[in-house]
Amino acid sequence: MSRITVENVTRRYGDVRAVDGVSLDVAHGDFLVLLGPSGCGKSTLLRMIAGLVPPSDGRVLVDGRDVTETPARDRDLAMVFQSYALYPHLTVERNIGFPLRARKQRKADIRRRVAEVADILDLGKLLDRRPRELSGGQRQRVALGRALVRDPGAFLMDEPLSNLDAQLRTATRTEITELHRRLGRTFVYVTHDQVEAMTMATSVAVLNRGRLEQVGTPTEVYDTPASAFVAGFLGSPPMNLLDAEIVTRDGRLHAVAAGVDVPLGLGEPGEQAQRPVTLGVRPEHLSLLPASVVAGPASEAGAPNGAAPAPAATLRGTVRAIENLGSEEIAHCRVGEAEVAVRARRPAGFTVGEAVVLTVRPEHIHLFDRESGRRLVWRPDRDAPVPAARVPVAT
Amino acid sequence: MSGMFVEVAPPTLPAPIVAPAAAGGRGRTARRLTRRLGRGVVPYLYLTPALGMLIVWTYRPLVETANYSFYSWNLSPTQPATPVGWHNYHRLFTLPELGDSVWRTVLMIVGLLPFTIVIPVVVGLLAREVRGRARSVYQALIFAPFLVAPVASAAVWQWLLSPRVGAVNRASGTSVNWFHEQWPALIAITGVTGWHVLGFAVLVVAAGLASINGDYAEAASVDGASRWQITRWLTLPLLSPTLVFLLMTTVLLFAPQWTFPLIDSLTQGGPVNATTNVYYLLWEYGFQSFDAGLASAAGVVFFLGFGLVAAVLLWISDRVTVHDD
Repeated sequence: MSRITVENVTRRYGDVRAVDGVSLDVAHGDFLVLLGPSGCGKSTLLRMIAGLVPPSDGRVLVDGRDVTETPARDRDLAMVFQSYALYPHLTVERNIGFPLRARKQRKADIRRRVAEVADILDLGKLLDRRPRELSGGQRQRVALGRALVRDPGAFLMDEPLSNLDAQLRTATRTEITELHRRLGRTFVYVTHDQVEAMTMATSVAVLNRGRLEQVGTPTEVYDTPASAFVAGFLGSPPMNLLDAEIVTRDGRLHAVAAGVDVPLGLGEPGEQAQRPVTLGVRPEHLSLLPASVVAGPASEAGAPNGAAPAPAATLRGTVRAIENLGSEEIAHCRVGEAEVAVRARRPAGFTVGEAVVLTVRPEHIHLFDRESGRRLVWRPDRDAPVPAARVPVAT
Repeated sequence: MSGMFVEVAPPTLPAPIVAPAAAGGRGRTARRLTRRLGRGVVPYLYLTPALGMLIVWTYRPLVETANYSFYSWNLSPTQPATPVGWHNYHRLFTLPELGDSVWRTVLMIVGLLPFTIVIPVVVGLLAREVRGRARSVYQALIFAPFLVAPVASAAVWQWLLSPRVGAVNRASGTSVNWFHEQWPALIAITGVTGWHVLGFAVLVVAAGLASINGDYAEAASVDGASRWQITRWLTLPLLSPTLVFLLMTTVLLFAPQWTFPLIDSLTQGGPVNATTNVYYLLWEYGFQSFDAGLASAAGVVFFLGFGLVAAVLLWISDRVTVHDD
């Protein structure tokens, strides 16, 4: 039973803040993934939870108990290292039994418990081998076994799949998720792989330069990224981000840039609504406008066409390259000064060098502040609370 | 119209590749042969300087030593060497000095082990707690004696261990005549050699400790192991290749060879041969008794003996040590 709370934790190395004021609450039974690019501080954060690195500031609590000063061995946590850290001179059996031996349990109990764990992980036949005689996948399972054997309150994992080949990684991903479901224990899992984060996590914490960008379910961080960084980190290819300006046109708000005109469908703009923004659209939300519509008398500015009930958001550009992914294809288009990726089912009808008009539904538009990169949410009434729905604009 | 299925052909190269006809005849074959020979010779050319040095300075003297061990000769260029067969070996094994000197060498080895293994491991483990620049300063201080020339350190220790005014006797309140009593002389020679090589051993242990992946200790501490358990169960076993290396160096190098300049300048093997180890005995035979045949026979015997010891230690090291991979 472990609830892990991290309060305002900072870790400095000289002048560098590897982790900068991070607060997190991992409920019992959660599978939290710490996600971010290399050097974002996710491993350091995990090691502070484990007790391997002391925080420069802040507190770490396990089940409400402050363990900031508690040594790693008294925290009732288990950790799987990226390198697995299997003791090279000990057999698989001794490796798995090590945590029990360190706790001075009886030999017979250790043997029985190791056998149970080996059974779960299908390691029964390998108990007499030494780590160097094992394959990568087997080593990974021994490392898992050493964590499982003690039945700890929480499992900490530092990129445990990064040394496996692609096929084994997919299989092990499922196994770990299954393990989490069966044990019902808290998992904190560090990775830079968004696929692992999306598929395994019950919640994802995205870190960038030591700071927490967003915490939420995989769906939340993908569908409503809280910052331009999160938007640009998740997705393959990630969200298209373009510099744009919010302008008022006919009393309505538009996000415009070179080749881009996106009516936001919001009325009654306040005087401060106009501002520089970063406009975000996921590649799969862009679609190619049929040629017949393009041929129609659409004005250059993309203003409402009279007949259309809601003016379509349009991006005008040129196809620069096409990548064939088998079931889908990705078209890289130049829109104004920016590169925009479009992802669509094959055949999508793109031709390299062709001018295209792309459309996107207003609800698939994301707006971020140009300076801070934080997500912008539209509040129709200045005094009303911020709506839960992700309607764009100003905070 | 009747349709039919046709198999898709597997990919093939557009045209079969034909080996170019061997043109040119004999001249070309010969040239190719010399080129191939040249390629084979080049690596040996690179090895020649090193091999040459080994042959001139190691193997040739070895062979000559083996040869002289069957002659009686007093090293004088004007005197002829007379063949005596196995007589030198017979003398060597019937004289009591050989056994005594081997025994004293063993005592020196045992006396040196605390300096080359025990203290370095303790210091190395403690030194891990020293961080940053202080650590380098600390290691430099310990390493410093290794850089002192043995004869210079002999002079310093002769003064420190002098019976009347020596700092050691004054500090301990004793009046031991260190270099003129049998056991104290052996202890002093061993101790000064130990002081001399301690820094080297500490450095080797520090390097060995540094090469152990820090993940093991971290994993063990999360697994619930105490510091002492980590040291006993992980650090020391993983350090075993380093420790065997130090054992080998002590047996083959420090105890027999590094003691030599100290023995020669402090006790000359005395008193009553109390500090005569195998190398000093060898030297005495050759350059004090001028008995080249006997010295050569001793040299050959020691060469074989140490070779055997080295082989046994290597075998142990392969068996016992664990390598981190």
